[in-house]
Amino acid sequence: MLSYDVLIVGAGGAGLYSALEASKFKGLKVAVLSKVYPTRSHTGAAQGGINASLGNVAPDSAEKHTYDTIKGSDFLADQDAVELMCKMAPRIIREMEHMGLPFSRLEDGRIAQRPFGGASFPRTCYAADKTGHVMLQTLFEQCLKKGVEFLNEWFLLSIVHDGTRVKGIVAMDLRTGKIVGIRAKVVILATGGYARIYWKRTSNALGNTGDGIACALRAGIPLKDMEFVQFHPTGLRRTGILVTEGARGEGGYLINNKGERFMEKYAPEKMELAPRDLVSRAIETEIMEGRGFEDDEGNQYVHLDLRHLGRKKILERLPQIRELAIDFEGVDPIEEPIPVRPTAHYSMGGIDVNTECKTEIEGLYAAGECACVSVHGANRLGGNSLLEIVVFGKIAGKSAGDYASSVSYPNFEESAVKDEEKRIERLFNGSGKEKLSTLREELSETMSKYAGIFRSEEGLKKGMEKLQEIKERAKELKVYDTSKVFNTNLQQTLEFLNLLEVAETIVLGAIERKESRGAHARTDYPKRDDDNFLKHSVIRKKEDGSLEITWKPVKITKYQPEERKY
Amino acid sequence: MEKRKVRFEIYRYDPSKDTHPRYESYEVTVSKGMTVLEVLQFIKDNYAPDLSFRAYCRSAICGSCAVKINGYPKLACKTQVLREVEIYQTDTLRIEPLDNMKVIKDLIVDWDEPFEKLEKVKPYLVPNPEVVPDTLDKESRISPEQHKKYDRFTDCIMCTACYSACTAATYDENYAGPFQLARLYRFAVDPRDGIQEERARIGFLYDMWNCVRCEKCADICPKHVSPVNGVLGLRGIAVNSGDNTPGSRHVRAFYKSLLESGNLNEMLLPLRTKGIKGVLENLPLGIKLLLKGKVHSPVPKKIKDHDTLLKVMREVMEEENG
Repeated sequence: MLSYDVLIVGAGGAGLYSALEASKFKGLKVAVLSKVYPTRSHTGAAQGGINASLGNVAPDSAEKHTYDTIKGSDFLADQDAVELMCKMAPRIIREMEHMGLPFSRLEDGRIAQRPFGGASFPRTCYAADKTGHVMLQTLFEQCLKKGVEFLNEWFLLSIVHDGTRVKGIVAMDLRTGKIVGIRAKVVILATGGYARIYWKRTSNALGNTGDGIACALRAGIPLKDMEFVQFHPTGLRRTGILVTEGARGEGGYLINNKGERFMEKYAPEKMELAPRDLVSRAIETEIMEGRGFEDDEGNQYVHLDLRHLGRKKILERLPQIRELAIDFEGVDPIEEPIPVRPTAHYSMGGIDVNTECKTEIEGLYAAGECACVSVHGANRLGGNSLLEIVVFGKIAGKSAGDYASSVSYPNFEESAVKDEEKRIERLFNGSGKEKLSTLREELSETMSKYAGIFRSEEGLKKGMEKLQEIKERAKELKVYDTSKVFNTNLQQTLEFLNLLEVAETIVLGAIERKESRGAHARTDYPKRDDDNFLKHSVIRKKEDGSLEITWKPVKITKYQPEERKY
Repeated sequence: MEKRKVRFEIYRYDPSKDTHPRYESYEVTVSKGMTVLEVLQFIKDNYAPDLSFRAYCRSAICGSCAVKINGYPKLACKTQVLREVEIYQTDTLRIEPLDNMKVIKDLIVDWDEPFEKLEKVKPYLVPNPEVVPDTLDKESRISPEQHKKYDRFTDCIMCTACYSACTAATYDENYAGPFQLARLYRFAVDPRDGIQEERARIGFLYDMWNCVRCEKCADICPKHVSPVNGVLGLRGIAVNSGDNTPGSRHVRAFYKSLLESGNLNEMLLPLRTKGIKGVLENLPLGIKLLLKGKVHSPVPKKIKDHDTLLKVMREVMEEENG
């Protein structure tokens, strides 16, 4: 049977960085398994940049980066974790620079930095508007250099453990359709986020379906802060495709149908560069109060105006954004404002891990967007996700390497494979009374309506009922494609079921958190309530399939919660 | 709202079931803004659940969804259907898998070969200790001008559209491929790289001189990378480094001819490129050409305005090297 000392699931930034780190241990067999080919992962779609207090443009420090991050998180982040991340940031940026990462440069040859939302200084290192893309490419190049083994186009089906220690995973080779058990001393989940739940209004890749998180949930592993989903303020009107915060960092304006820079009302000091949760709510409020625009398909939006930046700056700093706007909206930002609306973008919540990326199961680690350390708390600052994936990817790889070097292989029982075979067999034999695309849309509509930017008890409860209904109906789904080769019909069905499973935890967390904090805005509890909710929600699936919610304190080192003003 | 019925002829083939590939037609009402990828998913959702294609980011950055649309490799996610219909003046779009790679199923091709080839060309930085500091407390210093030399090539998303269209890749198994060679060049012009001259030799090993400069890769690249410029750049590095392989000699032979007379000396070209062996190889063809009166004099006359040509050549070279 396939066996690895360290098996990494997911080939984005966190997965590849942990692979590089784990490969430094002599004699360890390391592999990266991914449902896509390398460099397709969603890290590549990150545009704007990565934060580090290099101080190349203005004096800066890790402490200030830490404070901005904690304030941005609405004080829900664990402060020891944020301190660790911000302290490691400058060195890890330079490490990637030494790997050949093509950062944009200042005149004197140092790495350039731009302003980003919620930051006190220009702190965001970037490569034009393709930072994630070149990061992913550079890390992949380094993996080729180090001879890291890749299992390309394999789909994670389940995590196998005995209640204390991990034993491996069950996965499907998409090319042959074979369902295979893979034994591993260490499994690192680096499977990305779950914002695809908001199917019709998300910046995420088609595959950001929370597979790792859903598998963890099914395996009884706790998830943390799942109710916090970040809506990025500027998604393209029709598709939700991301327009980087860098567009505002470079000086772009948000304009309503009265021609006003409406951020004046919501964040008089920071204006367009207030944190994302705040800007998204501002845009939604403008639209709800009738100051947005509407096209003939009924899409509502505001304008992101870059015209005053001038042709040269747009071509130099935001070339991909210009092309996206032209290709997907038919709008050239040099000539016209870009129509935008908030789009589900990032999962603050995820698999509950500590600062060493460990879950409660020995040998099972998680890093990146699928994990919740937590460094983003209730709201992530732009430029901190690329940072998180490399910092915690590195930590996970190191910590996993140490562990794998000290233990022997676990036993792997083939019954785990049989279970998955049975689960999939049932999908082929479904009644077909329900249709995948219909249920997917209903899930998306339910979540956008009831668990979107604004939430309330009444709505969330309706949402939960609807999810239960969809869950029942999902039993009538059928996989029609009977081929073993690249059965994307089966894959899309499994992905939908993962989304559905994760959606329930978002709604449950959102119902129980009776306050407004960061991205979680309750219209019936509009204030932050530190007395009762300065704590992480922890949700796990019990053996009978029901969800259980408990709470966990926030780690506070030196920054006492205060009101968040921008 | 602009809407239009469009017929999609889609290549269908499941080697585990079908003996031959076939085309299946689907009619879809397409509204303005709809992309080919959205149509493929629509067909999968409504008519053909077993239709297989790759797609991921749907915003032209992951490189998953390149297919042939009316014979032309494009990213399905950023190709607007109504624009295609306009360009081709047709109501039918034919969607096929990329060329130069084996079809695994329907629109999905086997990427292993192009990626294995990538691996062979050392597609990663080998740090030059004089530029890259040995401590994580310092950055390498790269001026914006130096950065510009490789920046364009880092836009490549490895969608393999160029590889599928590449003439050299079709006929030469050993040819590394356009995006692979472009990446090789990207490092060769990065001041942080320590094996810049070896990179030209790697290019030689994987047949960079077999690029026929058809420029299809430049034409179809969805990220406007123009891999052929990377190939030419690598060749330039080889020639400038005093490389003595036939490719470099061929370039020098052309160059010499231009310096001497401004006319190509076809008699000396094979000799200068491949030596006596080259002359013998080309002899039968040479004789035929000679008999038909197609060969210029072995002592070509200088062209009119030869001085002006030299001046132009000088300026072009200064421009390229500066």
